[in-house]
Amino acid sequence: MDSPAFQTSRRMLALKTKEECRLGNETIQVWAVELPSKHAEGILKVIKDNVEGQDRIDLQHLRRFAKPKFLPKHILGERDRIKELHCVPRAWETSAPAVMQASCENAVWDWSTPAKARTTTRAQTLYLLICPTNVISMADLHSLLLDYTPFASSAESWAYPLVIKEVTVPLLSPTSPAQADEWSNKYWPTFYRKTNPFGAHPVSMSKAEDELQTSECNGFGVEHALELAEEVAQITKGEGLGVGTGCVIVERVEGKPEIIAVAGDARYKPLSVPAADEPHGCSPGNVMAHAAMRALGFVGRKRLRVASGQVSKAAAKAESNFANVGLAHDETARDGFFLDLPVNSFEQKYFDNDNIKPDGYLCLKLEVFLTHEPCMMCSMALVHSRVGRVIFKHRMPETGGLTAELVRNDTGPVGLGYGLCWRKELNWQFMCWEYIQQTHGESEADDTTAASTVSQYSKPPMANETIVESSFACIHV
Amino acid sequence: MAAKTTVFGEVPNRAYHERFMRKAIEMAELALASDETPVGCVFVHNDVIIGRGINGTNASLNGTRHAEFVALAEIMAKHPQSIIRETDLYVTVEPCIMCASALRQYGIRAVYFGCLNDRFGGCGGVMNIHTDNGVDRPFPAYGGIFREEAIMLLRKFYVQENNKAPEPKPKKNRELKTAILPISAPNTATAGAPAPPPTTTNTPDLPTPQG
Repeated sequence: MDSPAFQTSRRMLALKTKEECRLGNETIQVWAVELPSKHAEGILKVIKDNVEGQDRIDLQHLRRFAKPKFLPKHILGERDRIKELHCVPRAWETSAPAVMQASCENAVWDWSTPAKARTTTRAQTLYLLICPTNVISMADLHSLLLDYTPFASSAESWAYPLVIKEVTVPLLSPTSPAQADEWSNKYWPTFYRKTNPFGAHPVSMSKAEDELQTSECNGFGVEHALELAEEVAQITKGEGLGVGTGCVIVERVEGKPEIIAVAGDARYKPLSVPAADEPHGCSPGNVMAHAAMRALGFVGRKRLRVASGQVSKAAAKAESNFANVGLAHDETARDGFFLDLPVNSFEQKYFDNDNIKPDGYLCLKLEVFLTHEPCMMCSMALVHSRVGRVIFKHRMPETGGLTAELVRNDTGPVGLGYGLCWRKELNWQFMCWEYIQQTHGESEADDTTAASTVSQYSKPPMANETIVESSFACIHV
Repeated sequence: MAAKTTVFGEVPNRAYHERFMRKAIEMAELALASDETPVGCVFVHNDVIIGRGINGTNASLNGTRHAEFVALAEIMAKHPQSIIRETDLYVTVEPCIMCASALRQYGIRAVYFGCLNDRFGGCGGVMNIHTDNGVDRPFPAYGGIFREEAIMLLRKFYVQENNKAPEPKPKKNRELKTAILPISAPNTATAGAPAPPPTTTNTPDLPTPQG
């Protein structure tokens, strides 16, 4: 399943969240020490008992004990080379070395028998990750450890030289196995725990990617939804109503997708009082008529239509509040402004289908497919509407609200950096992907192979994949 | 990194603006009397109110139908869209991120508001959509006009709502709190700036705001 051929058939790339962009590469300095493994637990207890705040920072993603062979070379440093010269005999490496330590500092090491081949008789050593360097000073730590075996200045203390090292380690959990591997090679053995503190849970992402990329359900997968969005975009544009962006909203009931709303951008549809003096080119048009806003509006309209008596009554009562506060409502003008009703037969066809589950809440957990990355208004509208999954095709670096990146990195063109799909400060987050273009090679036939069981989450685009940047200059869509 | 903006600075010609904020507060009071979220707004063009709004999310089952949008619909029924560029908004609660972006795209001249929306405010509460770098003209936002009244209206609403719950919570939870904390510098998260640490240092203006 995890063959390269299969991976290239993916069509979605998870959008990095704001926190992934910001925190993903943060590191922290820690103290580490090498010690014989038989004393490892004892020294760890000493640390836990005596170093207050040693666990204040969560470093659960790092191995507490690491075998030297799994550590990057720069941590092992000079030690190993000296060892190969057989100059620093250590009790756990050789059995009963006949070594004497001279009394003064600059004395030379002496031995009476040659050291044995270490590969066979060497006792295990481990590196202990002690704690962040800001918790205790090197001097205090040094004097603490010198009170305990094997570092205590007892008879055999000479055999265990106490060398505390300052090591750079990743501060936060990796968000993919690939990142864990990278950090293990670069910093310190790192676990990937199949969690992501900065975005959607990898299991949820993986499940969503499987569902969205499987065309078997009614022959309606992510590529079909985006084709539909593109179709309505072009139809509406062809009618002179919009800029050529589109939005499709899908409800997935027990795996079966239902197309709830299909809307094209219609910002140039004249309002009650048209802006006669403003040519399309220099007018933002009616901002309410962006494709995403209209599609969300369709869902509300559809909900009103299929609502139960109780929900209808509550909505009607709320509607009457406008009159209570003295707001005379010109419904035609209102509908003309919000354009939350179809503007052509193509939109109408999907709107007329009473296929939404009755009495649902707003757009809770619905799937939204967009030809273009939505503007901040539309992005926040998606947040307010509690959508579940969003996929867009063209990135809008100058106006888009979903991309979190501020500097060009492994996932393509940059944006404004809002990353509105996953902001902890807000009261709702949703999963978000960019649709990626296969630039060469893969045939469409591959699309119908089995669903992925391996999440492609967090992997950067590969050589034959491209993130699509919009050809629009700088308009809001 | 965008500079931190303060929206609680001196409001020039405050008495003039209080006149229109009073109208917005009246809208919110009427909304409260109808069991609707007590957020009200008025749009003012050349000293004349051209649009008024209250929350419309419950009537439309559309979570985006905020008071500002309801008022904009009223304006567009009678005026060309370009009028917004010479129009100011008075709203009891800071516009949310969505509304702030919409207002900026329509070209609003200035926004005056009562209290901050520290859940999803777009003019200083959570983000600074009004001043961040962007393709549209930024707009100035002035907060704190009748702030205490705006907060009290919201608190009254949420106390009321508890009363309607099938099993009312103990009375102590329904007490109407009247103490209002002074304004502290909002810890705003801008597009480029790193998000603030997850401590709530913001002025807790709103219990559960609906922007």
